[in-house]
Amino acid sequence: MDWNCTLTEERLSDYLEGKLSPAEAAAFSVHMASCANCTETVALVGGLVSQMHKIAMVEEPPQLIAKILDATLGPRTQKESWRQWFGWTSVVWQPRFAMGLAAAVASVVIVSYAAGLTPAKLKKADLSPTNVLRSANRQAHLTYARGAKFVNDLRVVYEIQSKLQPEPEPMPVSNPAPAPQQEHNSIPPNATPQQKSQSSPPASHTRVSSGPMFAFLLTESLADNLAENSINSSYRSAR
Amino acid sequence: MRRHTRRVFNLCYRFTGNATEAEDLSQEVFLRIYRTLSSYQPAFGAFPTWLTSVTRNLLVDHYRRTRRDRQTDSIDDSMPQLEEKHSSARAPDKLAEAGELSIQLQRGLARLSPELRESVILRDLQGLEYSEIQAVLQVPEGTVKSRINRGRIELARILTEMGLKPN
Repeated sequence: MDWNCTLTEERLSDYLEGKLSPAEAAAFSVHMASCANCTETVALVGGLVSQMHKIAMVEEPPQLIAKILDATLGPRTQKESWRQWFGWTSVVWQPRFAMGLAAAVASVVIVSYAAGLTPAKLKKADLSPTNVLRSANRQAHLTYARGAKFVNDLRVVYEIQSKLQPEPEPMPVSNPAPAPQQEHNSIPPNATPQQKSQSSPPASHTRVSSGPMFAFLLTESLADNLAENSINSSYRSAR
Repeated sequence: MRRHTRRVFNLCYRFTGNATEAEDLSQEVFLRIYRTLSSYQPAFGAFPTWLTSVTRNLLVDHYRRTRRDRQTDSIDDSMPQLEEKHSSARAPDKLAEAGELSIQLQRGLARLSPELRESVILRDLQGLEYSEIQAVLQVPEGTVKSRINRGRIELARILTEMGLKPN
């Protein structure tokens, strides 16, 4: 077989890929042995092809796939992540949970107000456990003192009332003084003692004796206030 | 998905020689695929082949569109290539490294005609069979074979001219 340089170039790839017939391969080798040019070309191309097969694929930019997905399927990451993070809230907003949550918040607010924690005046120092305990303790004392004072006041008022308004039955007997005054009130004389006491309280009598009583009450409440103030100031100085 | 993306990106990168352009083109390829997915028929061949042929058509369009721009700045390109020749002559042992070869190969491919370039890329860098390349390029098998053969020989000569001996 007559082989030349043009034919070598034309069948070079077939030679490299082993697709030449035995006769062609033999003629190819014979020509190569006598032609330095063709030998060099074959070596170059053979080296290039084997090196190209070894070259790894270039890594695509990391954002490319995301870009492609955005361009084709539309942007999705943001929406999905929102749903992922806040999907559970739909359960919370069911009426029964929402009502429970509102009640819990309300009770926390009430307790914190009772403990003397007002959000408007809240400072960082107020949140330390000792201060919370101290203010809660103080609030408890104040509440107790107020309650005790109220009960005392109530008792005093009842005592005074019971002194001013004796039992209806013994009133005409034990207390004849109001009798002349009743004439002014134009109540029929045949009215029962009960009606008398209901319709006309012994106004002048109360007016007369209520003065010192009110004074007494005033002084007592004043003393209570003083006591409360002293408690407050002692706490303040302790803090 | 990742495999396909890499193939498409590599084909675009090897053909254009520019990573940014390749990225934009890859994105365009998948957008086109997405829009014409309903018109895909198995008669066109396997999906990878169809994907490759869509990419190739887009690359050819892109090549024609940017031909004028390339002609104007081809003079500017010749200067760095000359500098590169000197630097490669200084460190010939480093050229054997795969990374360096990849860069040199990129420069060599850029100087091949687009027909030969795409044939060599598809055969030797993408590893496609002759029949697949034939389906992608829509040309007879003899033409495919001769283009690949001529492309390889020309590329080897270009690289030798550039001072690289691929053996």
